[in-house]
Amino acid sequence: MTAPLLELRGLGVSFGGLRVIDGLDVHVVEHEIVSLIGPNGAGKTTVFNLITGVFKPDEGDILLDGQSLVGLDPHVITNRGVARTFQTLRLFLNMSVKENVMSAQYGRTKSTIVESMLQLPRARRAERQINAVAEEKLAFFGERLMGYRWNQPAYSLSYANRRRLELARAMATEPRILLLDEPAAGMNPVETHEITELIGKLRDEGRYTILVIEHDMHVVEGISDRVVALDHGEKISEGTFEQVATDPRVVEAYLGTAATTKK
Amino acid sequence: MHLVLAFQIYDWHYFFAELLNGLTLGSLYALIALGYTMVYGVLKLLNFAHGDVFMVGAYIGWFVLNALGSPTKPVLPLVPLLVLAFAAAMVGCGGLGVVIERFAYRPLRRAPRIAPLITALGVSYLLEQSAVLLWGANPRQYNLFDLRNGELFSSFTIGNITIQYAQIFVISSAVLLMVALTLFVGRTRTGKAMRAVSFDTEAASMMGIDIDRVIMATFLIGSALAGAAGVMWGVIQSSLNPYMGFGVGLKAFTAAVVGGIGNIGGAMLGGLLIGIAETFTSAYLSSTFQDLIVFSILVAFMLARPTGIRGTPVLQKV
Amino acid sequence: MSTGAPPTPPPAAGPQIGVDEWVRRSGERITGPAGLPGHVKRAADRTPPFVLLAAFVAVAACIPFMTSNIYIQGVATDTMLYVLLAVGLNVAVGWAGLLDLGYVAYYGFAAYLYAALSGSRILTGQVLLADWPTWKVVPVVVGATVLLGFALSLTTRRLRGDYFAIVSLFFLEIFNNFTSNGDRWDWLGLGGTHDLTGGTTGLIDTHPWRMVGHSLLNYSRDYLWVALAGFTVIAVALTYANRSRTGRGWRSLRDDPLAAEVMGSPVKWLMMLAVAVGAGVAGFAGAVNGAYYQQVSPTSFSFQLLITVYAMVILGGVGSLGGVVFGAVVVNVLLEVLRFPNYAGWVFYAGLLIALVAKVRPWRLLAAVLGGVVVFGVVVNAIVGAVWSRGVHGPVAVGADSFTQHGFRAAVLHHWLVLPKNTYEVADYHIGNYAYVLLIAMVLTLTVVSGWKRYALLVPTLWLAAFVWETVLIEQSPTTRPLFLGVILIVLMTSRPAGIFGTPRVEVV
Repeated sequence: MTAPLLELRGLGVSFGGLRVIDGLDVHVVEHEIVSLIGPNGAGKTTVFNLITGVFKPDEGDILLDGQSLVGLDPHVITNRGVARTFQTLRLFLNMSVKENVMSAQYGRTKSTIVESMLQLPRARRAERQINAVAEEKLAFFGERLMGYRWNQPAYSLSYANRRRLELARAMATEPRILLLDEPAAGMNPVETHEITELIGKLRDEGRYTILVIEHDMHVVEGISDRVVALDHGEKISEGTFEQVATDPRVVEAYLGTAATTKK
Repeated sequence: MHLVLAFQIYDWHYFFAELLNGLTLGSLYALIALGYTMVYGVLKLLNFAHGDVFMVGAYIGWFVLNALGSPTKPVLPLVPLLVLAFAAAMVGCGGLGVVIERFAYRPLRRAPRIAPLITALGVSYLLEQSAVLLWGANPRQYNLFDLRNGELFSSFTIGNITIQYAQIFVISSAVLLMVALTLFVGRTRTGKAMRAVSFDTEAASMMGIDIDRVIMATFLIGSALAGAAGVMWGVIQSSLNPYMGFGVGLKAFTAAVVGGIGNIGGAMLGGLLIGIAETFTSAYLSSTFQDLIVFSILVAFMLARPTGIRGTPVLQKV
Repeated sequence: MSTGAPPTPPPAAGPQIGVDEWVRRSGERITGPAGLPGHVKRAADRTPPFVLLAAFVAVAACIPFMTSNIYIQGVATDTMLYVLLAVGLNVAVGWAGLLDLGYVAYYGFAAYLYAALSGSRILTGQVLLADWPTWKVVPVVVGATVLLGFALSLTTRRLRGDYFAIVSLFFLEIFNNFTSNGDRWDWLGLGGTHDLTGGTTGLIDTHPWRMVGHSLLNYSRDYLWVALAGFTVIAVALTYANRSRTGRGWRSLRDDPLAAEVMGSPVKWLMMLAVAVGAGVAGFAGAVNGAYYQQVSPTSFSFQLLITVYAMVILGGVGSLGGVVFGAVVVNVLLEVLRFPNYAGWVFYAGLLIALVAKVRPWRLLAAVLGGVVVFGVVVNAIVGAVWSRGVHGPVAVGADSFTQHGFRAAVLHHWLVLPKNTYEVADYHIGNYAYVLLIAMVLTLTVVSGWKRYALLVPTLWLAAFVWETVLIEQSPTTRPLFLGVILIVLMTSRPAGIFGTPRVEVV
């Protein structure tokens, strides 16, 4: 078995006395699509926040390609190759569509502010590169985010388009692994189907590794190579979709135990 | 130099006299800090204009004292005179605070945080300049020393320590007001509503709490306390000018932050600490640069512990 | 589980709202400021880059040739200094969204450093630090100010938003305290006192800039050009910086610092950079200031200056470089005009009229309101005249200008307003004060009522405004000027926070 691209070892964190993540071991192999499922409050988004450096874990380690990410600033982690989308969208609403995607390329270029002020060749090359990458990532979504849309402010987009833009922005950081937090939330069946195909396309054409948090089991079933189930901050099951979906612990976590009869 | 300092410290008279001065000044800062901390707790807004409300309170007190005969021919005996000055200042400033909130801050409830801050700067400036326009930039004096032959400032001694009646008056009034406030916030419905709003505004409104009225009450109380502090300033410092609110307000705000912004007990503690720090700095280190030193200490403190002594760090859901 | 894709909705006939075709056609209407400034801004966006800049600089540079009035040239130079300050402040406040209240301290620091390094003297006559040639001093001053900005911005690593604002304000206070009292610096009891900053008198006899062997001594003209040259370079550099990844980084951190950081932008560094760049611009302005005014004193770099620059930036439109230039010019010119009661009066009445025309829409209503104001005034004048004969026909526009009894304006005002003959009575009875407070109360009430009540209330309010203007505000014009600034800030933030040329922002609540 190949060494995993992303590995969480014995990860644990508490917030104000409440143990939110406990002894978590998860790994994602390159070019895999792993889904993270679990009832609300299980700690899934917290895992993403820990990986991306928004929170610091109390114990355990997070390894990307064998190198620890714990204690690094979020932008450093992103530049190492981890990108994410947010459960509640966090676009830069007052910037244009194209600028949103361009802003994510900050870490991939190297021109300083003085070079930009003087319009030195390196700065101009960096701008061209950023432009090209942004257009390429936006083109991934067909015609929806192309053409005149580039210069429109992000707040003018519809919900589904905003989700796509957030995805394009994450892609523009040129990551090795994409963390998608409920990419299909709030979408109608047509859009959900599209997202499912898109995620597959991301792995096949884009060669990304993907870790997805998702509630919609159709999507999970359609995309996952492996599924990891969480409850109360602990891993309760792992395997293929069929294995996890039928695991009694998972069923119990979602639906609860059978009611005991009154004596 | 250290020997000199060490020697000076053993001058206990001086030490306790300055300590008392510090406590008196600190009570004043605490009262003003309460207004800052309550408004921040409820609205997450730094009300820059609060210091100028304090200034207006001092002036209102001056006008009342002058209207009632002023130092040489007082119409009322000392205590009712002062009580009336306090009452007028508290009512006037409370009203002023409510008006400011209603017209300058309420339209900006949903605006980004930077907007009401800038408006607050504008309001502060407007108050200062209006005061200059209406009352002139020349300092005015409370002249209380002339009242009944300085009775208020006569002192008595306990052991080695000299205490002025004025100081007792200021400290005890401040304590009284703070106790009243604590009871209010802890026991009454409005007080509970204020605490609820400071925790989570949206949830509070969904529980049926009228946010507008709670915020209005917060401003009313906070500004009234600042007004009282204004009269106290007149009593102990005697001299007022339209620009005094700015510096005092800044220090009181820091007192609120040092104590933990949003925390009422913290504001009281912070106020006392700042008052003592300022007095001791002026007495022992340098009175010319007292402001500079105090501000530097405050900056250092804020950097070291932004949440203050009694504040709790706020967790944000990401 | 369903098989295959869900059914697609049937195609609709004709363009539909929200669907791409409609959005494409009407999309451009959404962004940008509304009304006349919107048209101006869109026209400006269509002109080739830097044409506007060149036009502005060309016109401004010709001012010394268009008029030989030293005062006007001086105002132009002052305005250019304000323009520089506004442009610098815009970097931190407008582009990065950081409320830097210590900005004026950088300006003051640079001015003092320039003076100290250019052979200026303290009262005792000794040179403070050095007397270096200009080509050495200016870069050192700018560099030192940038470092100062970096030093202050280190606090943003720990403190955000409001806290940084307060700490930066402290910084300004510390600076002011230090410069005012710096002539008695005694290292807290060790050693004797040293004069480090010239104290309240400040530093005098600052040497002018010397370039290519020639000293810049034609004060109003030379420094206007120096400031313009600096402004050109700075404006170009900042525009390029704003279009680069740094500018995008600033804008993304303004919208959502957490998301920006997760998307790879080094937010802490970008914040520091914004403050430092702004400080650098202030540094250049300070170097010009030190030479132009030939002396440096602590009272110049006060909270009032901070409010002034903020008012310029907010009025012009945060985030828009052209906008803040416009704001700086407008505000400074207005402030200068307010020094002269006669001109100020025209500006005041013109301003009221313009505001009315813009806000009171059906012109019949406008005519009714104006007519009502005239009638109201005449009636009140008649009544007061009958009751208290000394209450009317008094002097017009007391103050710097004389007791002009004649002239068209005076005649109009005599019959329209209540102008007591003995202006001291106004002061004694505090009529002006009560009127001022009443005016504020009425204006606030206006914002609350609506419909016919609002227009009805507008009539006496306008009259009272004129009354207060003539009796109180003109008389105390040194106070009116700052008052006007505070009012601008409040009115702008509550009604049009984006300013004139700024783009209205959408905020996530």
